[in-house]
Amino acid sequence: MHEVSIIQSVIEIVTKQALDNKLTKINNVTLRIGELSGVMPESLEFAFDSCIKGTMLEESTLNIEIVSALGECKECNLEFPIEHFNKLCPSCNKFCTNISCGYELYINTIEGD
Amino acid sequence: MSEIKVVANILHTNEEITSQNKRLLNEKGIYVINMMSSPGSGKTSLLEKIISKLKDRIRIAVIEGDLYTTKDAERIEAQGVPVVQINTGGACHLDGKMIKGALDSLNLDNVDLLVIENVGNLVCPAAFELGEDIKITVLSTTEGNDKPLKYPRMFENSGAIILNKMDLLELTNFDKAEFYKDINSLNALATIFETSCVKDQDQGIDELCSWLSQQVNINSQFNKACI
Repeated sequence: MHEVSIIQSVIEIVTKQALDNKLTKINNVTLRIGELSGVMPESLEFAFDSCIKGTMLEESTLNIEIVSALGECKECNLEFPIEHFNKLCPSCNKFCTNISCGYELYINTIEGD
Repeated sequence: MSEIKVVANILHTNEEITSQNKRLLNEKGIYVINMMSSPGSGKTSLLEKIISKLKDRIRIAVIEGDLYTTKDAERIEAQGVPVVQINTGGACHLDGKMIKGALDSLNLDNVDLLVIENVGNLVCPAAFELGEDIKITVLSTTEGNDKPLKYPRMFENSGAIILNKMDLLELTNFDKAEFYKDINSLNALATIFETSCVKDQDQGIDELCSWLSQQVNINSQFNKACI
């Protein structure tokens, strides 16, 4: 359940951003989570609902956008959807070490009053 | 209502502390391993073997991560090297801040190799950088060859993978060919070792130790070159 640690960090960052932007109440938080990040959206939602109580985010909703994983082959420059289990380039069959997206774990936007 | 574009890395705080740890450990020329696995795969037994073989040549220190108890730290202490126990009190992984606290309790001027034995858990530790030079994942034959595909993140981020409890291989349905095939598709660059920690009949420990001392030497030469 490292999702709890992640949500605690989200609350910390969002609260600071809200104060910097003179917001008193947060309505929505949008996270962008890469397919390979190893984080489960359902667990994040569960942790969010539990951890926001008593914070500025108490009445906010959580929106999670999943970022597809892509690899870019260093041999033939082909960009292709990559998976944990298959990092071989579909064109030249070389093992791809260059993963261009899929490990994202960031707060994209917040909405508030 | 206003929308604010934040674009902030959620693990930023951990990464900031981690880079401080890394800077300090680099300055001291210490090679750092983040050792991960499921509970009971043999991390501490491997460490006992490694320490007994290398401690005369390499100055080793250990940080032990467990939810509760100091059982592992006591085993390491019996090997005669400095050890710090972190009890996470229920948390499923170590993070940069915990390591920072542990580093304060070690005399880093007398360490060449620092091994951080993470909490036994094949999932969460993979997401938290600690300031290490390499992640090493241990898998034991009794866990089954399907684990790398079921828990890919840990295996795909590891520089080395140790297949332990080779002495029990015949008693299990562990399929070594499948294991190598899966590792190859997850992480073709990992160095793989096959080991067993049976008393007086260990296997693969010499190969592992000679590779480890090589890594420590490369690290210390690299650090000297930077100074």
